[in-house]
Amino acid sequence: MFDLFFQFLTNTGYYLADYRHYIMIVVGSTFLYLGTAKKYEPLLLVPIGFGILVGNIPFFKGFGIGIYEANSVLHYLYFGVTTGVYPSIVFLGLGAMTDFSSLLAQPKLMLLGAAAQMGIYFTLLGALFFGFAPREAASIAIIGGADGPTSIFLTAKLAPHLIGPIAIAAYSYMALIPVIQPPIMRLLTTRKERLIKMPPARKVSKKELMIFPVAGVLLCCFLAPTALPLLGMLFLGNFLKECGVVNRLANTAQSAIVDTATIFLGFTVGCSTQADVFLTPKSLGIFFLGAVAFSIATASGLIFAKIMNLFLKDKINPLLGAAGVSAVPGSAREVHLMGLKEDPTNFLLMHGMACNSSGVIGSAICAGILWSFFV
Amino acid sequence: MIGIENITNHNGWAMAAVGATIVFSGLVVLSFVISQIHKLLKLWEDREKLIDRFKKKAPPAVAEKVDAPAYSERHLPSVDELTGAYKPLVDQLEESFKISQLFEIANKNDMPHPHLSIQRLQEADILVAQGDGTFTWNQPKGK
Repeated sequence: MFDLFFQFLTNTGYYLADYRHYIMIVVGSTFLYLGTAKKYEPLLLVPIGFGILVGNIPFFKGFGIGIYEANSVLHYLYFGVTTGVYPSIVFLGLGAMTDFSSLLAQPKLMLLGAAAQMGIYFTLLGALFFGFAPREAASIAIIGGADGPTSIFLTAKLAPHLIGPIAIAAYSYMALIPVIQPPIMRLLTTRKERLIKMPPARKVSKKELMIFPVAGVLLCCFLAPTALPLLGMLFLGNFLKECGVVNRLANTAQSAIVDTATIFLGFTVGCSTQADVFLTPKSLGIFFLGAVAFSIATASGLIFAKIMNLFLKDKINPLLGAAGVSAVPGSAREVHLMGLKEDPTNFLLMHGMACNSSGVIGSAICAGILWSFFV
Repeated sequence: MIGIENITNHNGWAMAAVGATIVFSGLVVLSFVISQIHKLLKLWEDREKLIDRFKKKAPPAVAEKVDAPAYSERHLPSVDELTGAYKPLVDQLEESFKISQLFEIANKNDMPHPHLSIQRLQEADILVAQGDGTFTWNQPKGK
């Protein structure tokens, strides 16, 4: 009887756990705290945080329980991540939720979304500099796009063994926008620049909104066909929303479908951070480079906005450059708040959303380009 | 292998430069295209007017338009009232003028329904086409 009891004890998580599991459980709990108490991107951090807890409960290997074990339930759920299915579905919902009217009203703001992608390429060089393999470097670099689904999609294609750390880094930095971006914004802009008011956007017609996703998918996907799974779905979702004849589909895409994908994506990515796989020196390097990527992306957008102002008659508020990263709507909100802090009558949210949505398109194109370099 | 050597060996410089150039030029093209959408739509919506301009309709063809929809008749002043209102504007133009000049000056003076009013003046032969794209006022100026 005692033998059976001791055998049972040796199979429990308490017996099998080592310090790495506890570290990861602290990380997961921190995510849950940030998501619930601080309300930092709760839709992402809550499922990921809980996934980290679940993924780091020690178990006896070989029972088909863990996410990396063939035929386990978690493994099947993780299939949507490793094949890039969940990111595509998230993009469908994102398209159905996004209003591109502010971008259509001010197309020049799209250039800020392009400029912010420079963080990706600087980080590509940085990751290669630190000795990462080219495919790993490309996957790390895409963190600079500040787009979780895009990062997961590209990593699943190029360096699947790094999905955990890269997804966690990407989502962490997205959640930490209120901490990371404001100091960079203050550092690179003067008060006078932060006070620049943007003119009200012109009214965009329904026909324009309908033509945009068609023109967008044709132009972008002809340029980078490898971005099709992301941009094809993004523009499909947007067309469903704007065409006005399939409201049922658009409503489902922007609610039930994207919510389901977000739950499974977040949860399985969290589960994939099993301590023995996740806690490696490489992960630390990825976190460091991710922070660099995100900061350079923010700075690139800000600096490019200042350069544009040298040539423009109607100056743009350079803070908008920080919204060129594709963290929707976090970075636009941060730009708006900083604008309000300087002048309570300066509303930058809609202009920031224009940069944000172009950032989403830009980072998906970047993912396609990077993938095509290794095809 | 680490450092600059690793970047060079894996073609990192080229990847970064080409990638950045492609994404930037792609978004520049997209922004240009979306900046033109509303202009193209406006052209499409005004296509009949454009076609008419290219056809350079002769006066009889304009005269056929007398059977304009009733709604325009109900809301517009009479030809005499329109003549009185538009005469001072025409006096500011040269003897023969383009319709676009009259539109412009009518808009500047906040004249209501300038398109319909000018069309009615044409139909009433107050504005007479000269056949070279210009029009004249068929009453002596200053009358």
